[in-house]
Amino acid sequence: MLKKWMLAATLVTGLSGPAFAETVNLLMEGVPDTEYVKTLLPEFKQATGIDVNLEVVNYAEMHTKLVPQLVAPTGSYSAIVVDFYWVGEFTKAGWLQPLDERIKADNFDTSVYVPKMIDLVGRVDGTTYMLPFYNYAMGLLYRKDLLADEKNKADFKAKYGFDLDVPKTWDEYLKQVEFFTKDGINGVVNQGLRPDPIAMEWSNYLFANGGEYHDDNWKPTLNTEAGVKAVEQYATNVNKFGPVGSASFSFDEAFNVMAQGKAYSYITYNFFRAGIDDASKSAVVGKVEIMPVPGTEAGKGGSLNGAWGWAIPKSSPNPDAAWTFLKWVESPEIAKKRALQGGSPTRSDVFDDPDVNAKYPYAKALKEMLLTSHNFPVFTYTPQLVEVLGRELSLAVAGEKKAPDALAAIEAEMSELAKKDGKLK
Amino acid sequence: MFGWLISSPSLGLLFLVILFPVFWALFTSVHDYTLIAPNFDTFNGLDNYMKAAGDPEFRHTLRLTAFFVAAVVILEFALGFLIALMLHTVERFKSVYYAILLCPLLMNPVIVGLIWRMFLHPSLGIVNYLLSLVGIEPVNWLGSTKVALWTLVMVDIWHQVSFMIVLLLAGLSALPREPYEAARVDGASIFRSFWHITLPLMWPVIAVTLLIRLIFAVKTYDLIYIMTRGGPGVATDLVSYFIYRTAFVSLNIGEASAMSAILLAVILGLTAWLHRYMRSLT
Amino acid sequence: MASISLSNIHKLYPNGYAAVRDVSLDIRDGEFMILLGPSGCGKSTTLRMIAGLETISAGDLHIGGARVNDVDPADRDVAIVFQNYALYPHMTVADNLSFGLRLRNVERRIIEGRVATIAGMLGIGDLLARKPAQLSGGQRQRVALGRALVREPKAFLLDEPLSNLDAKLRASMRTELIKLHRTLGTTIVHVTHDQVEAMTMGERICIMKDGVIVQVGAPMEVYRNPVNTFVAGFLASPPMNLLHGMLDSDRISIGDVVLPLPQSLRRAFASHAGRKVIVGLRPEDFHLKADAAPVAAPIEVVSVTTEVLGPEVILVGTLKNSSAELHIRCPRDFRSEPGAMTVFNYDLSQLQLFDIETTTALMRPVKI
Repeated sequence: MLKKWMLAATLVTGLSGPAFAETVNLLMEGVPDTEYVKTLLPEFKQATGIDVNLEVVNYAEMHTKLVPQLVAPTGSYSAIVVDFYWVGEFTKAGWLQPLDERIKADNFDTSVYVPKMIDLVGRVDGTTYMLPFYNYAMGLLYRKDLLADEKNKADFKAKYGFDLDVPKTWDEYLKQVEFFTKDGINGVVNQGLRPDPIAMEWSNYLFANGGEYHDDNWKPTLNTEAGVKAVEQYATNVNKFGPVGSASFSFDEAFNVMAQGKAYSYITYNFFRAGIDDASKSAVVGKVEIMPVPGTEAGKGGSLNGAWGWAIPKSSPNPDAAWTFLKWVESPEIAKKRALQGGSPTRSDVFDDPDVNAKYPYAKALKEMLLTSHNFPVFTYTPQLVEVLGRELSLAVAGEKKAPDALAAIEAEMSELAKKDGKLK
Repeated sequence: MFGWLISSPSLGLLFLVILFPVFWALFTSVHDYTLIAPNFDTFNGLDNYMKAAGDPEFRHTLRLTAFFVAAVVILEFALGFLIALMLHTVERFKSVYYAILLCPLLMNPVIVGLIWRMFLHPSLGIVNYLLSLVGIEPVNWLGSTKVALWTLVMVDIWHQVSFMIVLLLAGLSALPREPYEAARVDGASIFRSFWHITLPLMWPVIAVTLLIRLIFAVKTYDLIYIMTRGGPGVATDLVSYFIYRTAFVSLNIGEASAMSAILLAVILGLTAWLHRYMRSLT
Repeated sequence: MASISLSNIHKLYPNGYAAVRDVSLDIRDGEFMILLGPSGCGKSTTLRMIAGLETISAGDLHIGGARVNDVDPADRDVAIVFQNYALYPHMTVADNLSFGLRLRNVERRIIEGRVATIAGMLGIGDLLARKPAQLSGGQRQRVALGRALVREPKAFLLDEPLSNLDAKLRASMRTELIKLHRTLGTTIVHVTHDQVEAMTMGERICIMKDGVIVQVGAPMEVYRNPVNTFVAGFLASPPMNLLHGMLDSDRISIGDVVLPLPQSLRRAFASHAGRKVIVGLRPEDFHLKADAAPVAAPIEVVSVTTEVLGPEVILVGTLKNSSAELHIRCPRDFRSEPGAMTVFNYDLSQLQLFDIETTTALMRPVKI
């Protein structure tokens, strides 16, 4: 009797719930861009009458929290954010709803997104599953005050025979790393921790040397001249020009070294550009600028792209309300408001917005970074590839494996994963 | 019959929370079960086991774990017993010492890992700063393949040694006092009465303490996850972290279950052996 | 073999509690000395100070003439037997016996010989391979004793070694200990709260109370001439009846009962005449026959109950018109219904008087 009564009560509340108080449940990572969304939520409630329940966790917990909800027929999250890492896995497993029909029905303009963003966290094999949320392409943080120093300029010119300035090519940058390793300062600080810190950072080295992960047929192209140079340069930077222990640094520890003024440069995610001007965390406020990772020649970038996308899981209890939220949060006004708070744009119109550029002069550099960036291989086994990269690169940095051997090992495992995923025939 | 009836609720609960997951894992371990295709459609017999056993990375993590476990258990036992013996003779402020010692034990391993990562930062951490005051060069605690595992051993000792102390201290306080007095009159020095009386009387407690600590040490995962992620290179890649990656990065639950089953077998074997060995001593 | 001498020994605990105060006692070489007293009287503490298990707060302790206050227990060459035996639970009987000798690096051959001798002597030869948990209480007691014996120490210190045994075993162990002492001739200090043990075993008894020595003397001496009501009430079972009375120059009145004071005592007690006193009457000094004692006085006792013990009957009764109870030893065929009155003849020569305030015995000629 009691059971029946309770069942009835559940049904009633469950059915009548949406009628008067719709709620969109979101799981997001605790990062600045999430905070910016949070501040704007009252506007959404005002505009649509829909409540948003935001669950914020740290990165390490996200995947483990998401998967059970995605596997279930009806999960608890209306909409989710997806790291580009997981795109292959989530779409392959069929956990995300295609958005094309909704986009078409509402005439939502996706052409304003930087194409690289759509490739990374938007469309997969022609189907749109996500709207790009924010990008975290990697860039080169460098000390402009050290570059401007007259004595440095003179010494550098005398030693290398060309002018000390913002590096135009990767080789120029490497010379600067060597040059600035002096006076208790390191030329560079690296994030050598397994697996993603080292894998992500090293990707920049690969691209900067003109390398790529694979060719059009997903055949790995790592054990090449560019790949070997990238590994050797990375190991040299960590062991010779970096601070003690950077082989075990995660990005926060590496950032601290940079923020304490102990390093000339640091290749890292774009959102640290705002952090370096935060006087509570940084001793070098106003002395650091960001730029795209230079490539083999001027104009070619070596940055690694990265981004999060909004998606509606198949298990979403209320996909319509979730879409309403996605439309709103990615609308030009809200996207601009997020960018004005410091958010990292994915849309060209926001990048080019005069207000945004006036407030953040480096917005231009961020856009260039994104435009010249390279994407990481996105397929079902991306996280596993990162794991393999982390292990082998770490071994190479520790001097326990030669660069070609490490790269050969990565290629072998990557081929296997790509075959398993049907990418490599 | 009545006994079965009375204990059935707790037996049922035990079955639900312990036996069921174990059986589920064993069942999973003979299927091609991945998170991408979470179903038991493909029975693949011992494939997962063969794959795991043939995987040099898995074997490396097993060897490394054996070394790590031996190091932490032996060092923590030696240190813990020493401290327990010292505390045993202390009469005043015992509870204060207890409280201080228990602090690390009560801390979440994640917090422990984070704190020590901060302390051990090679250039900004307090440990290297203190060492520099006495003229010691900065130590590359977590970034060197030669040092990193020992750093983890050290942090684990800091975190877990109290466990040994508390258990051994409890054992010590439960020992009868009279044999010690008899031994004093019989002419035993402190060292000899430790060797001839304390140690033999403590064997059961020591055995249990070592066993529990050993099992927990095999499961060390959080520290690795927070502090080294198995690096640098593969210097700290302990088996639990490897199994975690197999399950949640490679999404291969079947193979991860097979590895867990192998690990379980090893631990069970070790437990049985230790149990018998300790019994033969008493 | 050694004498043990305690001079002005004190034991003070850090919390200020004085467990033993100003104890001086000379134990002769080869003597069987009993430390007797209720629990908490300081007798065990005194023994432990002799063994070296407790530090001595003040005073001097000599064993065999040498001052040993600061000598390690191991080097005092005394052996102690504990109340709960304190066997090494993880060692076999043989190992328990030989442990002390092994610690002293005695030759193996000698150890084996001594263990065999002692085990034979105590009848535990077939238990040598067992562990303490597999032994009965009496067997453990023997092992504990054997452990002390095997070392051939200068003195044995026994800390209530018989109190955990059942009555029958206790009696036989008593005899055995006495025989052992006779054979070995080693000094023994035996702590007990059992007055039977004290009376039967000791050459001398040292009675303690509240940390001080009350009386030291041979068993019969202490029994005959207790220095105060404590000793009088502690020794023998049933103990001396202690009744309030009035002393006059020629008689003692206990309520309605009047006992004439024998001529021989009158002079001794003359100075106390007219004072209230405690009268001590031993239960065995009441006789049914009028001619059982040369100087006797009739006492009428109203029976409350009788305890038939077999060899004798204890009558618990009251004096006429009095509620004070007294115990009387009667022959085994004595019977009395509750409420019935019996006339006893009390042997006045055994009369003891105590000061009502200080409870010490009033001076009395040693021999009458």
